[in-house]
Amino acid sequence: MSLADRPVVDRLSAGVVSAWLERHVLSLAAFGTAAVLVVMLYLPVGLVFVEALLEDGSPTLGHFVEVLTDPFYFGVLADVFADPLAIGDHLGALAGWLGGISIAVTLASPVPGLDLPVPWLAVELPPVQKGLFGFTAYQAALSTVASVALGLPAAYILANYEFYGRRTLRSLTILPFVLPGIMVAVGFYAMFGRTGTLNTLLGAVGLGPFAFIETSPLAIVILAHAFYNAPLVARLTVAAWESVDARTVETARSLGASPRRAFRDVVAPQLVPAVLTGALLTFIFTFMTFPIVLALGGLQLATVEVWIYDRVQRLAYGEAASLAILETILSLGLTYAYLRYESAQTGFSQAPSPPPKEALFPDARTALSPRRLAVLGYGCVALVLFVGPLASLVVGSVTDGSGFTLRNYAFLVERQLEGASFQTRPFPAIRNSLLFGLATLAVAVPMGVVISVLTVRAGRSGRLVDTLAMLPLAVSGIVFGIGLLQGLVFGIPLPGGWRFQVTGTVAIVAAHAVAAYPFVTRNVSPLLATLDPAMVESARALGASRTRALLDVELPLVANGIVAGAAFAFAISIGEFSSTVILASGSEHYTMPVAVERYLGRRSGPAIAMGTLLLLVTAASFVVVDRVGGRYEL
Amino acid sequence: MRRRTFLGTVGSGSALGLAGCLTRDGEGDENGGNGGDGGSEGDGTLTVVTYESMIDTEDSAGPWLKEAFEDEFDAELEWEQLPDGGINHYIQRADRDAGIDADVYLGLNVDDLVRVDDQLEDGALFRELDRDRLERADRVRDEFALGDPHGRTLTYDMGYISLVYDENEVAEPASLEDLTEPEYENTLLAQNAQKADSGQAFLLWTIDAFGEDGYLDYWQRLEDNGVRVLDGWTESYSGAYMEGERPMVVSYSTDQVYTNRFDYDFSRHQVAFPNEQGYANPEGMAIFEDAGDVDLAYDFFDFVLSSEAQAEIATRNVQFPAVADEHVDLDEEFDEYAHRPSEMVSFDYDGLRGNLDGWVEDWAREFAGQ
Repeated sequence: MSLADRPVVDRLSAGVVSAWLERHVLSLAAFGTAAVLVVMLYLPVGLVFVEALLEDGSPTLGHFVEVLTDPFYFGVLADVFADPLAIGDHLGALAGWLGGISIAVTLASPVPGLDLPVPWLAVELPPVQKGLFGFTAYQAALSTVASVALGLPAAYILANYEFYGRRTLRSLTILPFVLPGIMVAVGFYAMFGRTGTLNTLLGAVGLGPFAFIETSPLAIVILAHAFYNAPLVARLTVAAWESVDARTVETARSLGASPRRAFRDVVAPQLVPAVLTGALLTFIFTFMTFPIVLALGGLQLATVEVWIYDRVQRLAYGEAASLAILETILSLGLTYAYLRYESAQTGFSQAPSPPPKEALFPDARTALSPRRLAVLGYGCVALVLFVGPLASLVVGSVTDGSGFTLRNYAFLVERQLEGASFQTRPFPAIRNSLLFGLATLAVAVPMGVVISVLTVRAGRSGRLVDTLAMLPLAVSGIVFGIGLLQGLVFGIPLPGGWRFQVTGTVAIVAAHAVAAYPFVTRNVSPLLATLDPAMVESARALGASRTRALLDVELPLVANGIVAGAAFAFAISIGEFSSTVILASGSEHYTMPVAVERYLGRRSGPAIAMGTLLLLVTAASFVVVDRVGGRYEL
Repeated sequence: MRRRTFLGTVGSGSALGLAGCLTRDGEGDENGGNGGDGGSEGDGTLTVVTYESMIDTEDSAGPWLKEAFEDEFDAELEWEQLPDGGINHYIQRADRDAGIDADVYLGLNVDDLVRVDDQLEDGALFRELDRDRLERADRVRDEFALGDPHGRTLTYDMGYISLVYDENEVAEPASLEDLTEPEYENTLLAQNAQKADSGQAFLLWTIDAFGEDGYLDYWQRLEDNGVRVLDGWTESYSGAYMEGERPMVVSYSTDQVYTNRFDYDFSRHQVAFPNEQGYANPEGMAIFEDAGDVDLAYDFFDFVLSSEAQAEIATRNVQFPAVADEHVDLDEEFDEYAHRPSEMVSFDYDGLRGNLDGWVEDWAREFAGQ
């Protein structure tokens, strides 16, 4: 992409170099971004993906055919893939299935544990073999619905009401996002288990105990996914909601629209892209879910990623890569479809002036209004689902077989003071996590912004680049890790006995930045697209360089998105585990999640204490990040 | 830093960062930033790679071993954490000539050896041990050997997979068959054999009991009886079992040592040996082919098999010693709370070679895939 810059008339002659830099900074940043992506993403992933197309060194499609026609992976679709032209047979099978549907009215007890017969319309569908891909997509779809349903009310409350601790609460919504999978599992067992916190509370009022996890493993897995992803939906939506220009709502109201109508016609269209972005990211994440399904649900709920892990363990790269490529195609296809929709939502320039926030409980009468009661009800749900597992984890770090104990923290202190050089100490883990987080911010934010700037007005090719820019989220983490190991840690042999290797801090930060920049792009692009091009054009007409116009006109107007994206980037870095553990293996570059994993022995206490520390450090940094970032929000 | 200056530096910064990553073969080609040489010059440093709980949990055996070994031999012992991929990491390194700077691998299982030979070539990766150079090799119980036809390993400790149950909720199951009875409906927690050692051991135990042709049928009945197969040992034990989710879990027969150490309730930590058996999981040590100081590695092996080291490993790593009773003196706690089955079941190298992956795959497909 060439950026035809007009020479800047620089009367103050502030140095030829800086003028040159200013003119070319965008190209340089684009070049840097491309370099990082090629080395840290395309090379490692390409190395593994190529395995899918090779059999003993010669090109083949055999691996794909095997996977696509295996009913274990694709259920009923496998027959279609095996013989796509036998349309008659497939239609016959479909008709047979449709003929097997029966509908009957029965009595059922929908509430587990309560013997309350309710007339129930039972729809009997003949079983369909979904296959591994089918089931993975099914649970991802359910998880997405649950995450959006639980995330939107939170966004509504945070964006429209003022109450004590709102900003802190908003900062803390990131916490589930950084928790290692094993900690989420332990937290969920501690909260929803048969002797968990929830049953203890219910027992106090004479109910239960209920076997929540036993009754429906799938439901618990979906809740765990919502625990991770509802905050993501909420954060994206709040950022969009606070970018709404309140004056447009006032205009609609003054023209006679009811509040509901104004919301539907003015506010909602500005929120939909953010909600859909959240839904898309949730679907992709939960499609790639790995430890959580098996930690809470069991092997019956295995996903494609579980099989990729297993194939990699057995060094069957051809099959692993084929599975991973199919996953990626699906995720990127969805992304492309979404981006086509997003770019069709052309906006108009806006200067965000967030809608005024009402006090949540101004007086006793308002507190009893239906809307406030609904808010309270949601608050209780959020307490159980989001605060419950986190709080149970914290409690678990100070209890033991015999009740209250500080033993786990004593272990951390002792390890810090006396740990040998080969042992993992808590303080370096905290320090590394924070340093990597800040460094990731410094790399990922410019990367994300550059990609947004370059793609947002580039039409169809821009959409394609934008879709490809989502690759880090759409690639199996296991495959990415293996690629990093084989490509960068082992190194690529070059002629003359040289090896090209990338390890250590640089590699970890680059890997984190690669995982994080899509969040910046997805937060910034929609806002950038709604800016009025005329503003940039006038700045350029008045002699500003493209860069100057970007820095002084565009970026301040999308500061909200940048700050929101930066927060995600920081969180991604803090919580990243799979590539960090590979790049930090055997060295002193371990982070907090890696330390949690290493402290897991025959007793989980020390690991849970470290997990609690991770939560505290993250909470503190986010309160700071949001406060600092908030100064840039207009 | 101003955003603008910063943007300009990103590009050049990343170029600089990458420029420092070209290395010549043989000049410390591992773990960038680790300071280079990993003792592969025979300079009195032994680099031993081992799994995390050997060196990084509360009372790990690693620190003790390092100190005692260094005192005795005037050498240096460097622990290295086993990378995430376990044995696969070293198989791939060998496959790609990426160099291995560890000298000794502590913590090999039989299936690791099988995988090495399947992927590389028979007898690859580790040296054949010259038992004449070892004073104490004969102390290891014969039945604990991994059965490697290439003689690469020496067993240093032993664990048994058993069931751990809550006697307030269920009676002790007398046999594997009992687990399919209504009395044990929805009580058992197992682990995924694709991923967890304990899960794979339990699966192999059932294959030993019901045969290659009968084990899937047995698991079908277990599934009908509501077995839950969770991810790893931590999820199933520290997560589900400890939170009272279910009253029975596949675990280790040394469970009560921890019960005693951490003041848990003994009634919730009873050990059961169905069919009077436990699945044996011996752990071995081996010397990498390219090890630098081979003499020192042999010294280390002898040291690990000494009475004192065997007792310390047993107590700290909570596994049984590999040597016969007369060569080790265990403290009372261990003797009282670590239980041995009357009969040990295990597959050795020959039993697993060529079978293991197929068995696990068939089993996993039974469970997953809706």
